[in-house]
Amino acid sequence: MTMNPIDYAVISQALIAAAREMGVKLIRSAYSTILREARDGSAGLMDRDGNTVAQAELIPMQLGPIGETLRACLRRHPVETLRKGDFLINNDPFEGGQHIPDVFIFTPIFVDGRVVGFGASVAHHLDLGGGAPGLNIHASDVYQEGLRFPPSRYSFEHDWNGGSFERLVTANVRVPDLTIGDFNAQFAANAIGVMRVKQLCERYGTDKVEAAMHEMQDYSERRVRAAIAQAPKGTFYGEDAVDDDGLSDEPLVVKAKVTIADDSVEIDFEGTCAQVKRNLNCPYSSTLSAALACVKSVLTSPDIPYNEGMARPIAIKVPYGSLLNPRPPAPVRARMIPAYRVFNAVMKALAQALPDKVIATGFDCTTAFCLSHLGEKGYSVYLEIFGGGYGASKDADGCDAVDSPLSNCSNAPVESLDIDYGFFRIVGYELAPDSFGLGARRGGAGFTRRCEILHDDVQLAIYSDRFRLAPEGLLGGEPGQRGSCRVFRADGRVEELKSKAAIDLGKGDIVEMFVGGGAGFGRVVERPDAMIERDLADGLLTRDPRDARKLAAE
Amino acid sequence: MRVGVEVGGTFTDLVAVEGGRVVVTKVPSTPKSPDVGAFAALTASGIDLARIEDLGHGSTVATNAVLERKGATVAFVATAGFRDLLFMQRHDRRNIYDLFYAKPAPPVRRKDCFEAVERLRADGSVETPLDEAKVKAQLLPALRDGGYRAVAICLLNAYADPVHEKRLSALIAEALPGVLVTCSHQVAREFREFERASTTLLSAYVQPVIDGYLHRFENKLAEAGFKGRFTVMQSNGGRLPAEAMRQSAITALYSGPAAGVVGATRQAARSGFKDLITFDMGGTSTDVCLVQDGRPSLAAETEIDGLPIRTPVLDIVSVGAGGGSLAWVDDGGMLRVGPQSAGADPGPACYGRGGTEPATTDAHIVIGTIRPGAFLGGRMKLDGEAARRAFEPLAERFSLSVEQAASSALQLADANIVRAIQLVSTERGRDPRDYALVPFGGAGPLHAARIAEELGISTIVVPPNAGVISAYGLVASDYTKFDAVTRKMKLDDTAAREADRVFGEMRERLAAQFAEMKLPGTLDYTHTLDMRFVGQAFEVGVEIPADRLGSLDATYLAGLFADAHHRTFMHGANLDRPVEIVTLRVGATLPIGGAPKLDRETLEQRAPEQAKIFHGEAWLDCDRHTAEALAAGQAITGPAVIEGYTATTWVPPGWTAGLDEADNLILRRTS
Repeated sequence: MTMNPIDYAVISQALIAAAREMGVKLIRSAYSTILREARDGSAGLMDRDGNTVAQAELIPMQLGPIGETLRACLRRHPVETLRKGDFLINNDPFEGGQHIPDVFIFTPIFVDGRVVGFGASVAHHLDLGGGAPGLNIHASDVYQEGLRFPPSRYSFEHDWNGGSFERLVTANVRVPDLTIGDFNAQFAANAIGVMRVKQLCERYGTDKVEAAMHEMQDYSERRVRAAIAQAPKGTFYGEDAVDDDGLSDEPLVVKAKVTIADDSVEIDFEGTCAQVKRNLNCPYSSTLSAALACVKSVLTSPDIPYNEGMARPIAIKVPYGSLLNPRPPAPVRARMIPAYRVFNAVMKALAQALPDKVIATGFDCTTAFCLSHLGEKGYSVYLEIFGGGYGASKDADGCDAVDSPLSNCSNAPVESLDIDYGFFRIVGYELAPDSFGLGARRGGAGFTRRCEILHDDVQLAIYSDRFRLAPEGLLGGEPGQRGSCRVFRADGRVEELKSKAAIDLGKGDIVEMFVGGGAGFGRVVERPDAMIERDLADGLLTRDPRDARKLAAE
Repeated sequence: MRVGVEVGGTFTDLVAVEGGRVVVTKVPSTPKSPDVGAFAALTASGIDLARIEDLGHGSTVATNAVLERKGATVAFVATAGFRDLLFMQRHDRRNIYDLFYAKPAPPVRRKDCFEAVERLRADGSVETPLDEAKVKAQLLPALRDGGYRAVAICLLNAYADPVHEKRLSALIAEALPGVLVTCSHQVAREFREFERASTTLLSAYVQPVIDGYLHRFENKLAEAGFKGRFTVMQSNGGRLPAEAMRQSAITALYSGPAAGVVGATRQAARSGFKDLITFDMGGTSTDVCLVQDGRPSLAAETEIDGLPIRTPVLDIVSVGAGGGSLAWVDDGGMLRVGPQSAGADPGPACYGRGGTEPATTDAHIVIGTIRPGAFLGGRMKLDGEAARRAFEPLAERFSLSVEQAASSALQLADANIVRAIQLVSTERGRDPRDYALVPFGGAGPLHAARIAEELGISTIVVPPNAGVISAYGLVASDYTKFDAVTRKMKLDDTAAREADRVFGEMRERLAAQFAEMKLPGTLDYTHTLDMRFVGQAFEVGVEIPADRLGSLDATYLAGLFADAHHRTFMHGANLDRPVEIVTLRVGATLPIGGAPKLDRETLEQRAPEQAKIFHGEAWLDCDRHTAEALAAGQAITGPAVIEGYTATTWVPPGWTAGLDEADNLILRRTS
């Protein structure tokens, strides 16, 4: 049906508002620090065919492929077979999911007995069982990473709220109060989306609401195609690498070939290394999400709503069995790290076509930092996600100390950790001077976070990257600093950890996690004096780059 | 005589009330020194200052000091290891796909941030004592050398016990007399260090500015013979005497919108309406607030320029939809309205000052609700042809008539306001159909009926003089002060008793503060417990009915909490989970007694005229009345237009309108 522009504008904005409300309520009624403080969750509305219509802008990585995740469910449980009260669930990395902790839940929206769409939410769950609390970095297959929900259908009434499925989950996770609480926050967020869409259908008619859902996707598609049409045509190559797989010292190379045609883009990851034995494999959905997020960020203005239409002009090819499209049962827990190299490789390719619209490589890592302790009252698990410094651009320094582009996790307030955890305390949280690459514009500064351990028998597990390979500058900009993790033992020893590590800690030990800065853009000789002097005065820069120049001139 | 002087961005409004007589004056604002405009308004009104008993003042001085970065040179002191608190912020981004993202910039440089060696635990006990020797040897000289006017201190866990902040503050005050020291426990005694630090810093930053401004204002008043009480509006909807405000500067932010809500609430109460949704539609934006039982809703936090401020403020949501908001087509072909505005210059196309883009005010002229010759009581002539011309390109683009295009733009502006209202109502678990809509600001009453229809609201209360409600709010508002204490306790009967005890302490403290401000009288208290299920991070505020105080128990509080949680989040009502109390809040209000009566400003009366209004898809014939010509009790059936001095009201088909004894125009939906 054709819509008048007013109905369309009103309904589409209302759908976006509903998705935003779902996201706010998901976070605000959650229990685990990873969801409620770090906000590692997302929400959206889907059409009945499984396409994303509107989303709460929370975590880019989770949002991109929600459609893939739902369509995998709908292939098993076609939309016309769904009954009121059903929900669909999926976290299977090999069936449209990403990694085990990200559990996607979909609630069908019934209007007059027919499904018009779905409320969707995804949350990173603190612990879903598996070989270690919160994070098992030694997993050699997906089975050791936790409970896998293949694309499935359950009844909320029969299987949840004390039902068999809920009890199955409860019995297999280490912090069931938090995990079940977070599941409930997801169900509630979906219920809000369902209610809002039903209200819209009552007010405007189901036909109009469904037509608006389709038009929203067409709208985003048009805007992306219009943006692509403006870009220089040609084929461009980009490459980056993960430090190593945690077993050997071999870099894991990611290659992207980006072809910009009239109004479409093709990205081919041919030449990327084969899948690996540890958790650095990136499922197809995650690869797709990272590539789309990069293209959207570079090509389109931030106000274009992200939905399935965004993806239509962009074709992605990923060799099966490679790091970016692994065969089961590959472990995939740290998939954000290779996903960032996808983002970096595509960005480097686009930099050749559109240097004014890109940024230099940032620290661009998800550093997962997990402390756990088994006390008399059961497990206590703390998991935080750290970013680093952003890459610089033509006109601006990179953003300091912020989560990396594919994610958007907040830090947990130190005072809230002091209230919630008795076995460690944060004793330092600071910007790291000199951690960025200089340039005409500098990268964003990285930071350190220091934890003092207050009990014996505490376990630390981390995965990070760029401990060996620094982020590269653009157009003469300097590289950012590499990260590190050090343990200052109570007895005075200092241990340097690898980027993927697990270790036992005792009372009095201090762990210092340092995430590096972003790379610079353009040559440092072009950096305005005022910007150099400001950083010197603020103690972010400890040596004046002009001194070296003067020396060289003499 | 009571006088309210409200300094806005464009106009400075004055409302003076004595007995039954009201004087309304509007003069241009003087942004560089707002007190000049304020005194110009006093002069223009012809009021003898010696006869003013109560002068309420609201201004944008604090807000502008932050937005324009014109506050004091300020230093920030944090616990060792955390000097970068204000720059680390929360590690997140507001716009997730923006590669060039920059964090909100606090009004302080990193070089002006310092540390003190100390650490408290979450319960307030001392982990590391304050290293006074180091403070004296390093921090004090650095503060002296920096030449700071103000110092903000935020130490970790100081909300639990301010012992170190107090000591550090004393050391600084002793060494550096004349420097204003602000501690986090004084401005926001709640956990979450970044939000508390940001509040403390901003407070220290604006305090010298407010202090200087009010000092100057008081002196000028005294010179002019003023002997009454000089009070200042706060963002929480209550006033404070100026001398108290000089120590509580942060609450002066956003006082203008708050005054408007209070004015609208008071005026609607005269007609017996207490559950309200107010909306103030001005030139560039619309401010929306929900009022429950005569009390505007409060939010625990707001922000300015992206920086959080943890202090109770009226829960006002603002959207970019006003008389100057522009209609435009984005590059995906979608029609949009706002947030870009034509502003005051060039203004909408109809102002004839060179604007060619179509604005909301132009749309009203095209559809006939605003007469080009009768804007602001006929004082400002508008160009009707220019308004039509501005909409022609949009009409062509969407194959619509010009009036259809204008009507579409208005519908979109309405939709933006509807979403803002949903944010303060449905999203907070309140059904807008249970409320009366109170539109004010120049454009509010024109849009009210359609917005009410969208939301299912059946009653609208249009106050008289809808254009000066904010200034009226200044003379109609009570004295208010809030206190909050974070005290995490698992909810059981012992905790409930402890809450009762702490509430008592807080009441005593507030009473002492009112006594110190020389404000005698019986205080009204509100008591709120911020609670959550154990494990959650965000609390739900639950107001405790006065008659249950002194006998609180766990079962009762858990029930109140579960209901509130379920209303907002749609789950939690029957979950068997432990609950905890996190923060206790008490608000103290000293009522000013009967609010002064706001009358209508009189326009020349005239008989109804015929008018044509484009409504839905057709031109309707209807009457155009002047508000002055309506007799109390006379019912007008829509479609009709009612013109007033500062605002015009549109009564669509299916609505009736009538003036009541309180001079409010009441619109009711009949079909």
